[in-house]
This record gives sequence, C-alpha cells and structure tokens, in this order.
Amino acid sequence: MKKVIFYISVIELMAIFLASCGGNNKPNPVYKPTPYKIDIPFGFPTKLNIPADNPMTEEGVKLGRYLFYDGRLSGRTDPDSMMSCSTCHIQKNSFEVGINNPRFPGGFPYGITGKPTPHVMLPMINLVWNSNGYLWNGFVSENNPNPNFRNIEDIVRMGVVSDHEMDGDTTRVKQLFQSLPGYPELFFKAFGNETVTFKNIERAIAQFVRTLISANSKFDKYIRGEVQLSQSELQGFVLFTTEQGADCFHCHGGYGNPLFTTNLFYNNGLDSIFTDPADRFGVTGDARDHGAYKAPTLRNIQLTGPYMRDGRFKTLEEVIDFYSSGLIQTPYVNPLMHHINNGGVQLTPQEKYDLISFLKSLRDDDFLTNPKFAKPEKFPDEK
Amino acid sequence: MKYFKKQQLIKLIIAVFVLVALSEASCHKINTPDIVSGKLIFTFEHSVGENSLQIDTMKYVNAAGNPYLVTGIQYFISDICLHKANGDSILLDKWNDIHYVDTDLPETWDYFLKDSIPQDDYSSVSFTFGINAEKNKSLLFVNPPESNMFWPEYLGGGYHYMKLNGKWRDTSGVIRLFNVHIGIGQIYDSTGHITRFVQNFFKVQLSSSAFSIAAGQSVEITLNMDVNEWFESPEIFNFNVWGGGIMQKQVALHIVCLNGHNVFSVKDIKTLIHE
Ligand code: HEC
Ligand code: HEC
Repeated sequence: MKKVIFYISVIELMAIFLASCGGNNKPNPVYKPTPYKIDIPFGFPTKLNIPADNPMTEEGVKLGRYLFYDGRLSGRTDPDSMMSCSTCHIQKNSFEVGINNPRFPGGFPYGITGKPTPHVMLPMINLVWNSNGYLWNGFVSENNPNPNFRNIEDIVRMGVVSDHEMDGDTTRVKQLFQSLPGYPELFFKAFGNETVTFKNIERAIAQFVRTLISANSKFDKYIRGEVQLSQSELQGFVLFTTEQGADCFHCHGGYGNPLFTTNLFYNNGLDSIFTDPADRFGVTGDARDHGAYKAPTLRNIQLTGPYMRDGRFKTLEEVIDFYSSGLIQTPYVNPLMHHINNGGVQLTPQEKYDLISFLKSLRDDDFLTNPKFAKPEKFPDEK
Repeated sequence: MKYFKKQQLIKLIIAVFVLVALSEASCHKINTPDIVSGKLIFTFEHSVGENSLQIDTMKYVNAAGNPYLVTGIQYFISDICLHKANGDSILLDKWNDIHYVDTDLPETWDYFLKDSIPQDDYSSVSFTFGINAEKNKSLLFVNPPESNMFWPEYLGGGYHYMKLNGKWRDTSGVIRLFNVHIGIGQIYDSTGHITRFVQNFFKVQLSSSAFSIAAGQSVEITLNMDVNEWFESPEIFNFNVWGGGIMQKQVALHIVCLNGHNVFSVKDIKTLIHE
C-alpha cells in the first residue's frame, strides 16, 4: 500500500515538472497518467512484484494491451509473418496456446522461424505476486546477477528477439511503432514522451501482464462464503490438502496460499535421467535442483494442457495417474514427494475423480472472458 | 560487513524505540514506566550433534540408528519471554512479531526483537516453538515465505510450526523421503473423522541463558538447533516406524514435540556496546 502511494507521488511530481516545462507558445498536452490500482483479493499476498521504475498506470496498461495483441511487435507487417504475445498467450486458455490450437498442434508452440520453444507454455496469471522467478526454471528473477533478466519487462524483450519466439529486432520494432499513427500519442500519455523506446514497450506490456489477475473461480467464491462446493469437489479439496490424501498443497497451495503455487522449484519424480540444461540446476548449480522446475499454479489448470514443462501429459487424468502411482525415484526427488516411498499417493478411482472435480473448481470464467484482458476492438492506427 | 550493517540497524532501532514503554509486554504484567533499555537479537544456527548442519549429505545417524540427511528446515519462534531471579518475567513480543527461520534464506537467521529490553539482569529466556493457539490462525501471513508454511484448514489450520525435510536409509538399504512436519494435531474416530484438534506448540526453556543488559546495549544470543535431538529424548523417533509423513499422526507429532524441548541450546551470548 505504502508503495502505491509512493508511486503516485512520484508520478505527480513528474507531472508537475513536465507541466511547468511546457512551452509558452503552443499549448503542450499535459502528461498526467492515472495510477492503476490493484485490489488485493481475499487471502492473496499484499507484496507485489512491481519494479520501482515501472509504476502501474491506466495509460501504461492500455498501451500495453494494444502492444500485447499487436502482431507488428515482431517488427513485421506482412500478415503471414506477424506474431504477438497473444499468438501464444491466449486468454481463453489462461494465456497458454491450448491443446486444441490449430497453429500449434497438441499445444506445442514454436517461434516465427519454426523453432520450438524449449518448454511448453506457462499460464499468465497472477504473475504480479511472483517474486521467486519467472519461467519454468526461474531464470528471470531479482536474484539474476545480470540486470537484463530480472522481471517481466525483460521477458518482453526476450520474447521479441528470441528465435523460438518472434525473432525480431528491437530497433526495427520501436521504429515501426513510431510510424504507426496513434501509438506515439499513447506512449506520451503513458510515459510522457512521444518517442517510442523499446524500454517503454517493455514497460507497457509488463504493466498489462501484471493486471491479469484471477481470483473468482468457484473455489474463490466458496472460500468467500458465496457458494457451496459439490460433495465431490469438497472431497477433492480434502484430498488435495491432506498429507495422507493426495498431498498436493505443500507445492501447489490451498486455502492459506490461494495462488495455488509456492512459485518454488521441485523435482517431482517425473524422470530417471536429467539432461535438460534449462532445469533449475541450470540456474542455481545446486545439486538439489537437478530436474527441478517451478510448480505451476493450478488455477485454470483444466484449460492449460498439455501438462508438465515438456507437455508429456495430455489430460488431468494422466497427471493424477502419475502422482498416484507413476513416480520415479532418483536421488534428486524433492522430499515433499515422500509418498514415492509407495510409488505415489495411491488414490482410488473415486478419489481421482474427486481430486479432478476439485481442480476444475479452480477454473475462473470471469478471468477467461474478462473484456479488459481481451484483444482490443481496434488498434490505434485503425479507423 | 555483516557486523557493520547490524550495528547500524541496531542504532536505528534504539533511536526509534528507546522512548517506547512496554505497554503490551508481559508474561505476568509488570509496570515499568520510565525504563532505560537495550535491544536483543537472536541468531539461529543448526547442527547435528557437535558439527554444524551440512545440507543434503547422507552422513548423519539418529538415536534410532536411521542414517539420514536433511534438505532444509523451516520453523517459527514466538513469544520470547525473559525471566528474572525474583520470579518476574516479561513477554517481549508484539502480536505480529513471530519469527520465521529458513535454512535456505540467510536473511531469516537473525531475529531483531522489536521491543526494547528494560535494563536489568535476566536469569533465563524461554520461547514458544511454533505459534500459540490464540495466534495460530489461517491467513495470519499472506505473504511468502511465511504463507508457504500454511497448515491445511481441514487438519486444524494455521501454520506448520516446523518443516524438517530430508531422506533416510531404511533397514533394507532403500533411500526414503521424510517430512517431519509439526503443527496442530488431530484426533480421529474409528470411521476416520476428526473429532478434535490438539495444540502441539510448546514452550522451550533455555538453560544457561542468563544475561544482563544496560541502556544502549544490544545483547546477541546465538541459539543452536541440534537436529538429532528431535529424534532422541525423552523418546526415540524411528523413521522406519513412523514413515515419511506425520501431519496426521498425533502420536508421532507428540513424540517429536516432546523431544523438541531439548533441541535448542545457547551457544553464545555477546554484548554489543554503543556510544
Ligand atoms: C512462440 C510462443 C510465445 C510467444 C510469442 C510469447 N511467449 Fe511468453 N511464453 C512462452 C512459453 C513457451 C513460455 C514458458 C517458457 C519457459 O519457461 O521455458 C512463456 C513464458 C512467459 C512468461 C513467464 C510466465 C511465468 O509464470 O513464469 C511471461 C511473463 C511471458 N511468457 C510473457 C510473454 C510476453 C509479454 C510475450 C510478448 C512479448 C510473449 N510471452 C510471447 C511462449 C511464448
Ligand atoms: C514436491 C512438490 C509437488 C507436489 C507435492 C505436487 N506437485 Fe504438481 N507439480 C510440481 C512441479 C515441480 C510441477 C512441474 C514439473 C515439470 O514440469 O517438470 C508440477 C506440475 C503439476 C501439474 C501440471 C501443471 C502444468 O501447468 O503443466 C499439475 C496438474 C499438478 N502438478 C498437479 C498436482 C497434484 C494434483 C498434486 C497432488 C496429487 C501435485 N501436483 C503434487 C510440484 C509438485
């Protein structure tokens, strides 16, 4: 809260400063952005991961939304070779490509060059509450010694330049947006300068991404006392949060951690050998991290197959079978997977059914259809 | 470097708190309107027996003869209480002053008490391991890392007092995983329904913890947790008997919490003098 007030006053000072510098002859437009307020949903953390040099504003978020959906972010204008964040991050799939995506069969994305991404998608949901590191291995985090890989702003740049995503060029991209009528004005409103910089492109998109908040699933309504869960969903919830049940909560949250992830990294017993250079060990060099990846949020999990960082499971049923009896013991499995002593949590068919009913209660239709997160009707240069 | 920073912090804390009376603070209320005070710092260390804990190496053996390793320990300390020879005592903490220790997070290894300590001679220190029943409610902590310690509502709610995670070698030589997780326990009826909850938090009375504090001084008490003690006395805890998880086994929770009275010892008491 204090932070928010601080940002507001910084913005106001900037506004006053800029206003006072206005020329005498022609009336310059005034730069006065409106702070964007994030309401903390019930039980959610109050600590937000917003860099001090990119306070959220209504104008920044609005611009970010255009850029997020604009295929010209790839630096290209030919309809066949355009790519935007939304090419892969699709709202109705909790901002993943989705398993039934016509462009990416099976839900395996690849870049403009045809090169597959090293891992499958992660959802884009409640990221403003993640301070432990972004991407499957947490490479992008405050702790990265290289300041170019610290936050969502940096992921925007990585998405634009990497050959398994847009394979673009930041200079060409900023020049292109400078030339598109309507955009420079939006950059002024958001950042006080009509000159399009790539930094400001990063900032705007990151601001938009931070607004993508899901806190209105059936389960959320249940914990707020607004609806009742079905008998099966309730049984599933008990299984999810009991050690002698399915024992999921230590890594994937629950009532006391409504993000449904700790945003921490674990080896959950999927493999017998570990050859992926982009696992958590690749980031930390800590022996405990071989084959470890972020435990993804289970919000909207119904829509975000294929599952695991390599998309090995198509359905939730397959995932639950794995946790029930398919675990593979190696020296690197995290101790929180202690049911591996019995091959898994050993669920009955009824228990599996209930657990999946519960997981489905984490679907948030308001989030998946929220018009504020959707593609804008027109881009700024469209009549 | 670390010492220097600590000193500055201490100075700051002293400046802010020197005039604050200890209004809410008492185990048994004492009235001390015009106190001259100092500050108290706890530093946490971890060992197995005599040697400091080495994470992730299978080189320890507990009293039951289980070879084991530790991958990490997280726990809460609260209700620090200072006792005097005349029987008086002061409860130091404010409501929100519950300290979280995590072997993975160095910034949690020092605990700067928010309250000022009245200048006096103290005969001993005690604290609550975990969180007492009054405070241990779900959503007390919404931010990580503390929020990741939540204990499921269905099992009594609130927070894990401790997560001690690792692996042991069973009698046939197989490596198995364990989670010694303690918190509110449950009593089940014959059909498996929970009939009531058991508060397992306990008070640790530290021996050899006498110290004196004068105005403007900071006292730093180094506490050591000997991991072996969780499994040793008064009752032997055997992984081959209890298995990898005990959150729903009140008998096992009870043994671990009994043993917990002896896990902490005072390793060092230092007085840091300022101006
Ligand atoms: C070609 C498909 C593709 C495009 C285009 C793409 N992404 Fe991604 N995105 C991914 C994949 C795959 C991951 C998971 C990558 C990993 O961790 O290995 C990901 C991960 C992320 C994450 C991290 C999520 C988390 O929980 O850690 C963010 C943030 C993100 N993308 C933002 C963006 C933005 C902003 C854009 C547009 C500039 C963009 N992405 C464009 C495929 C894409
Ligand atoms: C030790 C921590 C841990 C526990 C316990 C755990 N998970 Fe996971 N979970 C993970 C990790 C780590 C991944 C990602 C692994 C990977 O891709 O390599 C994951 C992935 C998943 C996924 C796929 C997510 C996606 O977006 O692809 C689902 C679904 C899932 N877990 C459900 C569960 C359920 C249900 C339980 C309880 C039966 C459970 N998990 C227990 C750590 C854990």
